[in-house]
Amino acid sequence: MSALRRITVIVGYEWRRALAKKSVLTLIILAIAVQSLILALYSRFAVDTMFLTEEVKPFMWILGVLQGQGLFVQLIAIIIAGSTMSEEYEHGTADILLSKPITKVEYLSGKFLGGFSLLALVEALTTVVGVILASWFFGPQNGLQYVPLIFLAIVYSTLIFFCLSFMFSEVLRRSTLTMLIALVILVASSITRQLLVQLYLTTEEYLYFYLSRGIPTWGANYFPSLLMRELMTIPSTVFLNLINDPLIPIEARIRGVSEAILVREALQQAAIIVAVYAIIFILVAVYRLLKSDVTKKTA
Amino acid sequence: MVSNLTKYYGNFKALDSVSFAVGKGWIYGYLGPNGAGKTTTIRTMLGLLKPDQGEVQIASVNPTKDPVQALQSVGYAPELPTLQTFFTGMQLLDFMGRMFGLNARDRKEGIKQLLNLVGLKEWGDKKIGKYSKGMVQRLSVALALINDPTVLIMDEPTIGMDPEATAHFRNLFTTLSKQGKTVFISSHLLDEVQRICTHVGMINKGRMVFDGPITQVLEAFTQQWVIEAELKEVTKTIVSALKKLDYVQDVKTEGNKLRIELKEKKDLRGEISSEIFKRKGVLLSLNLHKITLEDAYLRALKGGQ
Ligand SMILES: Nc1ncnc2c1ncn2[C@@H]1O[C@H](COP(=O)(O)OP(=O)(O)OP(=O)(O)O)[C@@H](O)[C@H]1O
Ligand SMILES: [Mg+2]
Repeated sequence: MSALRRITVIVGYEWRRALAKKSVLTLIILAIAVQSLILALYSRFAVDTMFLTEEVKPFMWILGVLQGQGLFVQLIAIIIAGSTMSEEYEHGTADILLSKPITKVEYLSGKFLGGFSLLALVEALTTVVGVILASWFFGPQNGLQYVPLIFLAIVYSTLIFFCLSFMFSEVLRRSTLTMLIALVILVASSITRQLLVQLYLTTEEYLYFYLSRGIPTWGANYFPSLLMRELMTIPSTVFLNLINDPLIPIEARIRGVSEAILVREALQQAAIIVAVYAIIFILVAVYRLLKSDVTKKTA
Repeated sequence: MVSNLTKYYGNFKALDSVSFAVGKGWIYGYLGPNGAGKTTTIRTMLGLLKPDQGEVQIASVNPTKDPVQALQSVGYAPELPTLQTFFTGMQLLDFMGRMFGLNARDRKEGIKQLLNLVGLKEWGDKKIGKYSKGMVQRLSVALALINDPTVLIMDEPTIGMDPEATAHFRNLFTTLSKQGKTVFISSHLLDEVQRICTHVGMINKGRMVFDGPITQVLEAFTQQWVIEAELKEVTKTIVSALKKLDYVQDVKTEGNKLRIELKEKKDLRGEISSEIFKRKGVLLSLNLHKITLEDAYLRALKGGQ
């Protein structure tokens, strides 16, 4: 119980620390601005085209929630997590925190939960904004009872890059380097995935298919939209292709099974992959903190 | 409290079997030149560094094994502290109070008192980013006191303070120890240690070269008193006569100066001068050179080399 109290104190601390930084606030505002812009552009130019039919309009919130925040959410995850541990070393403040009656694991947990709950809050904000904007631009929305679940899926899917950045933050103890590396991994894994998809399509070798799913961006990008498909039926393939893993319809054709089966299979894989990555990254961070000296000032 | 502590940074042995014990109510001065290993010792004591050998115990609890128990009544002011600049002084004190599990009322009262005590009353609601170096140092001492610790560990706390503040804080440390708190202060200033400490540990190049009450430091290192004499002319007869005296250990000459090392800790200038007169020497000056704490310190440091 007392350990819980100590963790909570660090969570509160982490919130204040992150919010005191302008970069985090700027990104949050930017994410919402971009999200609004995308929906506004759709409402301005896409209405009554083949893509945005009357049938699709009630589902535009999905686009608002997923499309609008996609890259930004990963970026915010990387930036929030990338400084949690390292900045305390760089500023030399780790000493006064870890010389207090708290275990290293409690400290790390507080830091992690603090950063991650802040990220979840940002995601809640962009989700709500996405839904509101969609209703405003495209009229009444359907399937809103799924919003909380989709929100949780978004939170879950950002675990990969949050944990990745968190791990580097503790291992390297340098914020800028950490964010740079996490960003490079994000971009590189996006590109690698595209390559693997192409390789799979040309060779039809299943190795490439599974490799492409193992790439961190796959789980991070598609977990929420896979869940969405599992939960609702959306009456437009054009629309679906915009938010979905493009390999699924192709696979369905190659293997001659329904997309629904493939979606469920992929959803399960994505859930496992996210968990495995997150656990590995967290364990590495814990190991580093427990096994090494507290670095004095590094900046 | 600390036994056989050995710490390597890579291949570099920063601490070599350091041991000492600090009793309740003492002010223990941990003295050593730059790079001696003071900060390394302190950070190991707090569990921030992992010792390669040896053990630390604070009130018989090892802070690496059970930091929650061991550090609950420890206050720590790090060397050249860098504090969270986004907090105000009050906010940081409040946060640290929370880390110790203090309730809201105790925190509020404690913060007010402490800000007064360290002379930051007007600065409590200002961002720490705006503080001067000395003010950060003051706040750092206040932070170390927020949990009303029984053990207070400070790494060169008066560095960067003006003389008035330095005097004020030295008094404060004395007062705190009179209240029964154990105070551990590292310093490279002999003068500071001499003024307030009841006990001294000296470290040089990672090795303890002295550990004991301040009163014993002089004794331990004062093997000799020396008389320095300047003569118009130094003759062999004078030197050999002086050497024969039973209270003289040795006589060294350097030009027309004599350095007479005594066996006893007595002012023997009278005896020496009459001896020189007997041998027809012309004395220009005669000085008794007692070993001061300063010398003891320097000597101790040499011993550690
Ligand atoms: N992180 C580190 N990595 C490698 N060597 C270190 C590290 N920290 C300290 N040292 C070395 O260990 C030795 C002891 O350093 P320490 O900081 O304990 O000295 P100190 O007695 O506190 O000196 P000062 O009076 O300058 O504060 C020094 O030679 C220093 O160079
Ligand atoms: Mg030091």
